[in-house]
Formats: sequence, structure tokens, C-alpha cells
Amino acid sequence: MRRILAVTTFTFRELLRSRLLFVWLISVIVLCGLDFLLSILSFGSILQIFMDLGLAGMEISGLLVLLLGLAVTYTTEMDQKAIFLHLAKPLTRGEYLLGRILGFFLVNCLVVLGMGLVVVGLVIFLGGGTVPALFYDCVVFILLEMFVLTTLGLTYQMIATSMVGVVLYTFFTVFLGHCIGEVQWLLNQEMSHWIKVLLRMVYYILPNLEAFNLKDRLYDPNLVLGWAQWQDILLYAFSYSFVVFLIGWINLEKREFR
Amino acid sequence: MSAPDSGRWVTKGAALIPVLFVLQAYLSTRLHEWVHPTSFEASPVQRMDKTIASTLRAVAYLTGYKVLVGHVFWIQIIQYYGDDDNAATRWSQLYDDCSLASDLNPQFISIYTFGANALAFHLKRIDQAARLLEKGIKANPDAQRLKYLLAAIGYQNTNNDNLIIPVLEEEAGRPDAPPMLFNILANTYQRVGRYQDSIKVWQGVLKDGQTDELRILAAQKLQELYAILKKQNLSNH
Repeated sequence: MRRILAVTTFTFRELLRSRLLFVWLISVIVLCGLDFLLSILSFGSILQIFMDLGLAGMEISGLLVLLLGLAVTYTTEMDQKAIFLHLAKPLTRGEYLLGRILGFFLVNCLVVLGMGLVVVGLVIFLGGGTVPALFYDCVVFILLEMFVLTTLGLTYQMIATSMVGVVLYTFFTVFLGHCIGEVQWLLNQEMSHWIKVLLRMVYYILPNLEAFNLKDRLYDPNLVLGWAQWQDILLYAFSYSFVVFLIGWINLEKREFR
Repeated sequence: MSAPDSGRWVTKGAALIPVLFVLQAYLSTRLHEWVHPTSFEASPVQRMDKTIASTLRAVAYLTGYKVLVGHVFWIQIIQYYGDDDNAATRWSQLYDDCSLASDLNPQFISIYTFGANALAFHLKRIDQAARLLEKGIKANPDAQRLKYLLAAIGYQNTNNDNLIIPVLEEEAGRPDAPPMLFNILANTYQRVGRYQDSIKVWQGVLKDGQTDELRILAAQKLQELYAILKKQNLSNH
């Protein structure tokens, strides 16, 4: 546990030192500015628009930091061989991977929660409105999504052979993960058997990111979010991340560093 | 955990992969039913450019930012309706645009109220306004405003102005009431002979109207109403 914590702390510091928090700062300024502009330009409940766009901004800034973090660390760890220093220590490769996942996730939490605080602050102090109770659930859902994507991104880092590959795989997983809901709709349409088999494989292999997309249902009166749904979502995030982590671990064990 | 231990843990972990994979697949299907209680349904597009509609839907569903895309598209709809160049086509795309925006952002009530007001009271496309409101009520069963508005449109068709007035008054009293609603309310007052109430509404538009056109219209209407009142007073004396 202590060894995992050491890698986590190291990764966290490494990401902060690579000035990833500037990305957060730029995201806050640009996204909140855009958010503000759009809510003024639009017609209707300004606070609802601001809240919706704020949540989207939180997710975007988290994804941005994750993608940039993956790109930066691939260069230092794999290209500049910094991973040799870690693996030379009394540390298993599984512990190393888990530590890195947790370090990345901590930075992501910092970014998402920081952005969330700015959005809540603006809504309460500048807009004079109230934050819907579901907002906090949405934040937790975004964090869970970030955890799944962090695990996936770092597993790709253990499998891929170039930085561009890692970023592209993660980027496309985000897109395809959100399409999962529509894959089920496609499966009910008339199409060739082989395409259906392929779609079914995609459906089960890719993460169902729409399950974490509570931000699009913030004002949905038909939404049911009880303990049963929380159990499902937590168990899903854990089981999917664990499968991906195990695959990443096995790949890292098999990988030869020269 | 030492290095040989690590190998043992990897073997155990590998054995866990199929079990956890099946579990996540099962949960994913269960969560899918929770996220999409009804199957995906796209509103048919008739007047709108189909490429724009499909591109917007693709971007919204691919990125997972349906509401964000919906809000951006909503600003475009407002600009479309505010552009006088579209008067030549009588804003033919308005219903399709509002339908698409409400597909992307079904809980944004302003799409239904703004769209239905424009379609019913301005463009006289009652059936489209009613369809849009019915869709809004289905997605937001608690939104009383949509029910009121649907009732108002129904009453308007029966030309029973006294029944429309309370509904219009309630709608016009809301902070996000579209400016056009004040015109309708004032004109309805005038039609039923409530000139003083009509004058009050136009005075409000003259004072707080957002555009020069609206304020000029209010001034003209006030002149017209004062003339009617003067004529009435003279005939009474």
C-alpha cells in the first residue's frame, strides 16, 4: 500500500510540475467565459443554461487534462525511459500501474472539483440562484467517468507504442463510449448479421459512458436516482476499471523495456 | 508483494477478467435501460436541411454533449426567428428547428413556449404549435405553463377571447415572456373592448421594449387607442 501511495504522490507531483494546472486555469477562463456569453445570448432560464454549460465545461476540462497528461507522461516515461527508474525499485508492475492511475485521478479530481467550485460560486454569488441537488450527483458521475477513462488511458499507455496512439485511442474511446446508447438502437434495425455481431462486440467492450452522463438529465423530471442506481453505477465503474487495469497490468508484465 | 508474488497475482487477476467482464456487460445493459427508458426517436425533418439536422445529431450523440449542442442550436433558432429576411418564407423551418432543439434538450421549457407562441400567434400554424407543446408536455409532465399555453391556443381557435385572456396574462407576467406575447395580449384586450388594459400593456412596451421597432409600434398603438377613446367619449357626451 505504501509503495502504491509513493507512486501516486510521485505521479501527482509530476503532473502538477508539468504545468497541467495551467490547462485548468485556461479552461476555467475560456469555458466559463463562453458559458457566460452563451447564457446571455440565449433566451430562457439563464441559470439553467449556465448550469448545463458549466457541467459540460467541467467534463471537458477533465478530459483535456487527462489527454494532455497522457501525452506528457508517455514522453517522459516511455520515450525518455523514466519508467526504468520506477521499475528498478522494489515495486511490482501492478503497483506501479495502480499508483499512476490514482495519481492521474487525483489531478483530475482537482481539476473537475475546482471547475465545479467556480461554477457553483458564479451561480450562487453572481447569478443569485440555487444549485439543483442533482448537481452534486452529476459531479460524482463525472468523477467516476474520469476514473474509468484514466484507467483506460493508462492501460493504452502500457499497450501503445507511440504517444499519438495513446491520445488517439483515448480520444476515440470517449466518442465511441458515448455512442453506446445508440448502438443498442442500431441493433434493432435491419442490417447484416455480421455487422450486428460486430456492433454487439463494440457494445460490450467499450465503456458505456452514457451511463455516467447525468449532466444531460439534470432537469429530467422522469429521472430515478436511488440507491439501486448508485449501486449499479459504482459496481459498473469498478468492474470495468478493474478489467481494464488487469489487462494493462498483464501487458506491462509482458512488456520488455530496452 | 515481491516479484514472484507479482506473477501469482497476475495469474489470479487474469482468471478474474472473464467474470468481471460478464459483470460489467450485464451492468452496462441494465444501466442502458436506466439511461434510455424509451428507445431513440428522432423527430422527422421536413423543411430543414437534412444534412444540418443529421450533423447536429451526430455531434450531440457522439460527444455526449446533447444539452450543450442543444443550447448552441437554440441561439441559432433565436437568430433565425429574429432575421427579417426569413419573413419571405414565413419562417418555414421554425417548427423543424424547435423539434430538433427539443430532441437534444427536452427539458428546456423555453423552446416549447417560444416556439409555440411564435407558431400559433404570429405564424398561425396552430397544428405545429400544438404538436410542439404536446411533445413538451410529454417530456415535462410537471410544466403547467405548457398546458396553459396549449389551452390558450385551443381557445384561440374557438375565437373565445375572454377565455384566452387569463392564460395570456399569466404567460405575459413571467420574466422570460417573449415580447410578442405583449402585443398579442394588448391586441386581444383591444378586440374585446378593454382599451384601458390595452393602453397599460402598450405603455409598458413603450417603456421597457427591447427594440426601437417595438417602441415605435407601441407609440403608434397608443395613438390609435387614445383616438378610439376620444371618439367614444365624444359620442357619449
